[in-house]
Amino acid sequence: MAAWDLSVVVEELGDDKPISISVTSELHIGGVILKLVEKTQVKRDWSDHALWWDQKQQWLLRTSWTLEKCGVHADARLVFMPQHKPLLLGLPNGTVLKLRASFSGPVFRTVLGICRMLNIRRPEELSLLRPAEEKKKKKDKDSTEEVYDLTEIPLTSVSRPCLYNGMPAHFADSPKTEAVYKMLSTAQAPPAPEAIAKLYRPASVVDKAHIHSRWLDSSRSLMQQGIRENDKLWLRFKYYNFHDLEPKYDVVRLTQLYEQARWAILLEDIDCTEEEMMLFGALQYHINKLSLSEPQGQTSSPAMDDLDSALQCLEVKMDGDSSASDMLDDMTAPELNEYLKIFRPKRLTLKGYKQYWFKFRNCSISYYKSKEESFGEPIQQINLKGCEVAPDVNVAGQKFCIRLLIPAPEGMNEVYLRCENEEQYSKWMAACRLASKGTSLADSSYQSEMQSIRTFLAMQQTNPNGNNTQADESINTHSLVSPRYHKKYKVKQLTPRILEAYQNVAQLSLTDGIIRFLQIWQSLPDFGISFFVVRFKGSRKDEVLGITPNRLIRIDLGVGDVVKTWRYNNMRQWNVNWDIRQVAIEFDGNVNIAFSCVTADCKIVHEFIGGYIFMSTRSREKSDTLNEELFHKLTGGHEAL
Amino acid sequence: MDDIDAMFSDLLGEMDLLTQSLGVEAEPQKPPPSSSKQASFSVGFADVHESLNELEDTDLDALMSGLMAEINATEEKLSSEKKEIKPAPSHLPPAPEGLSSYPVPSQAVPPSPESSFTVSTPIATPSSLSPRPPPHSTKPSMEDIEAQIKADKIKLALEKLKEAKVKKLVVKVLMNDGSSKTLMVDERQTVRDVLDNLFEKTHCDCNVNWTLLESYPELQLERGFEDHENLVEPLSAWTRDSENQVVFQEREDKYEVFKNPQNFYLWKKDKNTLKEIKERDKELLVEENFCGTSVIVPDLEGVLHLREDGKKSWKQRLFLLRASGIYYVPKGKSKTSRDLVCFVQFDNVNVYYGKEFKNKFKAPTDFCFVLKHPQIQKDSQYIKYLCCDDARTMTLWVTGIRIAKYGVTLLENYKTAIKQTAVTSAWTNRVTASSSSSSSPSTPSPTTKAKSSSQANGHATKPSAEPVVKMAASMVPPAPPPPPAEVLPPPPPDPVMPPPPPMATKTSNTGLGNKIRNVPQPPPRADGLPLPPRLHHHPHNDSFEAPPDFLPPPPPAPGFSAQGTGFLPPPPPVCSLPPPPPDPEFDCFLPPPPPDAFPLPPPPPPSSQPFIGGGAPPPPPPPPPAPVPSGPRPTTSVRKKPPAPPKRTTPQTNEAGGGDMMSELMKAMQKKRGNQ
Repeated sequence: MAAWDLSVVVEELGDDKPISISVTSELHIGGVILKLVEKTQVKRDWSDHALWWDQKQQWLLRTSWTLEKCGVHADARLVFMPQHKPLLLGLPNGTVLKLRASFSGPVFRTVLGICRMLNIRRPEELSLLRPAEEKKKKKDKDSTEEVYDLTEIPLTSVSRPCLYNGMPAHFADSPKTEAVYKMLSTAQAPPAPEAIAKLYRPASVVDKAHIHSRWLDSSRSLMQQGIRENDKLWLRFKYYNFHDLEPKYDVVRLTQLYEQARWAILLEDIDCTEEEMMLFGALQYHINKLSLSEPQGQTSSPAMDDLDSALQCLEVKMDGDSSASDMLDDMTAPELNEYLKIFRPKRLTLKGYKQYWFKFRNCSISYYKSKEESFGEPIQQINLKGCEVAPDVNVAGQKFCIRLLIPAPEGMNEVYLRCENEEQYSKWMAACRLASKGTSLADSSYQSEMQSIRTFLAMQQTNPNGNNTQADESINTHSLVSPRYHKKYKVKQLTPRILEAYQNVAQLSLTDGIIRFLQIWQSLPDFGISFFVVRFKGSRKDEVLGITPNRLIRIDLGVGDVVKTWRYNNMRQWNVNWDIRQVAIEFDGNVNIAFSCVTADCKIVHEFIGGYIFMSTRSREKSDTLNEELFHKLTGGHEAL
Repeated sequence: MDDIDAMFSDLLGEMDLLTQSLGVEAEPQKPPPSSSKQASFSVGFADVHESLNELEDTDLDALMSGLMAEINATEEKLSSEKKEIKPAPSHLPPAPEGLSSYPVPSQAVPPSPESSFTVSTPIATPSSLSPRPPPHSTKPSMEDIEAQIKADKIKLALEKLKEAKVKKLVVKVLMNDGSSKTLMVDERQTVRDVLDNLFEKTHCDCNVNWTLLESYPELQLERGFEDHENLVEPLSAWTRDSENQVVFQEREDKYEVFKNPQNFYLWKKDKNTLKEIKERDKELLVEENFCGTSVIVPDLEGVLHLREDGKKSWKQRLFLLRASGIYYVPKGKSKTSRDLVCFVQFDNVNVYYGKEFKNKFKAPTDFCFVLKHPQIQKDSQYIKYLCCDDARTMTLWVTGIRIAKYGVTLLENYKTAIKQTAVTSAWTNRVTASSSSSSSPSTPSPTTKAKSSSQANGHATKPSAEPVVKMAASMVPPAPPPPPAEVLPPPPPDPVMPPPPPMATKTSNTGLGNKIRNVPQPPPRADGLPLPPRLHHHPHNDSFEAPPDFLPPPPPAPGFSAQGTGFLPPPPPVCSLPPPPPDPEFDCFLPPPPPDAFPLPPPPPPSSQPFIGGGAPPPPPPPPPAPVPSGPRPTTSVRKKPPAPPKRTTPQTNEAGGGDMMSELMKAMQKKRGNQ
């Protein structure tokens, strides 16, 4: 065999100095690399390097294949470079992370590697997509955005996740990486309302469909898809089928999922009603508050739990030991006794507010003509259990009213209690809130309830125009809702509504709060639908295909109505005609549909459908090992096989 | 107060029947009911001081017996956990075990015709029990201690009160055939528990469709309680003079969504495709919609008629159901989420079916449903009335709202219900299958039992407490003494035991017993009481699981179980069952007994015992009873005779020990009579 010269660019040495080695067609790739390394005379770790064939846009990774088998001739432009390169990764929470990712393996495996490093379980649910094109009108002013750097973490140390200091060991190496982990595992503070308004928001189904054209192909490598070193990609949850969420192991996963959901709602990527938006706002407020107060951003450790339960045991024991009379004393709950004004709108008289001596005890309010008469029979006693409590407050106007809707056999009685000042208001409001749920003042949540009411009052006070930036505790409530509500409500109108929703979630722990947020998100009717504009065979107009975890939806583009749904479990088979880029699906009962894709490549649609079918196979086999082969079989198309 | 009187007369009637048939019936529990009635109406002991003042000694005793049962049950559990066996020293513990574990089986067992026969065995146990009381009486002999015991009792009762503050209601449940049963329900009991009680007491097939409904005749509304709800709470919202009723009925719609999820989640598809859907696809639908991170609510939307506030007109609107509530599309707006107006959220309302609204409110159809706060009892602007075009739409909406409101709890309820039916059927099968096999091993014991029973009878005949005591001692000498020595608290329970007999006598005097159905009540209460054991919040569940384990044990454990049974007055309830045979109505009740009859049967008696459990310590004799059950002989007459005498005797003996309670009860009843 004749020897011929092969010139290879070694990335580290620069493009302009290709190294020429003498090879034969029988030489296998491993031999080429060996010769190359010898010739460079550079001593370093070359183990991560591989040959990239520039013209063919492919890696030569099979070291036992000969040059002939690979089809490499003298004119091939080969580049010898590392397979792992730094990549800028936009996380669901909006931060940017720089880390080393595999540019040679299929994207599916690249994502596995990234998720392993970030400690996100179930990586098959995530994927990478090209970022939306940002309009550069800001003159790159934002390019100074903070980038968290993880490139220094040796790739080998990631392989075995073990916990150290409550975080994977590879994060515990330096304060810098610890900070990265904290960023990953803690919900971010609410963004400034202006920032939300500035971000791109899809205005229509078609806009939403365009987002999905940016997903990378899971079966090809980053290099093959034109991604280069230090390029920016987004990491997102792609398949809305979150398997086996386990707060104990999924701190990062839950947090990022929450962030993705939060942004989907803030940017109106998914529609919700006003009531739902208020609840989302309240949950964001709650989650943010708890993340600030829980330094680790984690749920209390097992040790703390033990301590808690031990304390509770102790309490019970002490109760049991105390004498009968002591116990009876204990049962007299704390009270509130003050002059307040009451108003019953139901009476048609125009009397307005009248002052009485009020006593709050055991979930009910009694009032007397005066303090002196408070030992006799009250004028009325109101049991608050099951009642609705709403604020009627105007801080600027110094109006602090509590609106009570009290259920009675005849209907609901409306009662207003007017307090003199914020302090009195927060005391009584908190008491009413607890009582409506049947808890007494003795409950430990009373203090925190009072505190949150004060905070909300402060928010109303200090943010008349929503311009105050980060005044410690207070948050602009506009940053908790989507821009539509910025226009619809002023902060002082919005705050009470969020506060109202907040009372239903105030008792949740951080993790429960996040889970509740995700649950409400997932129960939105539009949840989990990925839109694509397609053209069905035999139809002349564009229509929308919605792909969800369990079905395909055909949607009329003009009206937005669902025309038809097909469930995967009725699906017999689906094929892609790669020549005419058409997806054909057969369902039970001889139902056949076929469509071509308008906004996205049909490989992406194909991958979505196959991906969801792959996801649905997971629950049955409980093993933790990921069947990568099956995934590629279902999503790869002809190229993968 | 009419209600109370009525209930009282019911109770008395029951007692009469029991006494007439068996004479044994006297249930310790009954006394509690009377006291509990007061409690239930004043309810909840919001102010403990007050309620305590109101309580009389008898009431305290009754309370104590209940409380002690709990204590014993927990103690038993603890001891049993440590390692069963060693019955002799710790008789009390074993007994409780039997109670806790066995009760379930009894509930689970559907009534079988044979049950009447089996009943005989339970009777035997009661008789054995009767002797026990005497031991108690012996204890009282140390009168010095008595005062202290009483003080301790009060103290304990106080503590218990604080811990439990258990509210109890006597509930009259309307059956399908127009008859009714009266139950004692405490506030910790879920609807599931109550249903189980009812299963035990009726001949129904225990399928998952059986539902407890609340019915508002005045508003023409009804709603099926969900199995996880506590029954007492919604009932407490009823006004005093309420005509509302609790109804026990089969309702197809209760769990229809799990049987045919396609009708709800694929409601838009045409009916034929829905009919042809495969079982596997149904399972998948349930899994998809209920087993994910969040429950998916059917995406209902459609035009419904809304009753305008205060007007007689009905207005059409396009409504949508979302997990967060019901919304409508305002005029001229699209049905995109952002434009929707919230009509109602589900936190504070329940969904009810409206009946015959066409007449009442001039509704377009009779397929109406209503959303209202549970406390609202009269027509009001705060009640939302909606009307659908057809029955299917109405079921869709009501079920959809239930899914949105209760979420995955519904599925859990359904699974429990299914398990329950499975257990019940399995139990019956097992019983029949095992009866023969078990009988052989147990045979020896049966003979002993028979003896014991006969002895018991003898005791019964003997009026004097002392002789009885002696007999008991001979029977199970070790048991009685140890308990007292070991634990003072147990004594109080013992007193309880005696009371039952007095009850019987009283009832007989009253002669009010017209309603046989009521008789079963006592057993249910017993079950309910056992629940209290603090440790086991869900006694029923535990028991259910337990039964299988226990079944094998019967032969070895008989002693324990028997003891358990023996202690308690529960046996008496069993005896009460026998009477039923005579009366056709009773047959329904009989079913529960049958379980007892089988080798397993012993467990059931324990269930009833739990109340009494406290007093039970002496129970050791019970072992014999187990065998007796195995030999379920139809000869009711024989059974009756033995049981009855013991009871009567016991009452007398009891007077020494815990007589006060019974006598108080008697007095109360007599007063009532007088009033009537």
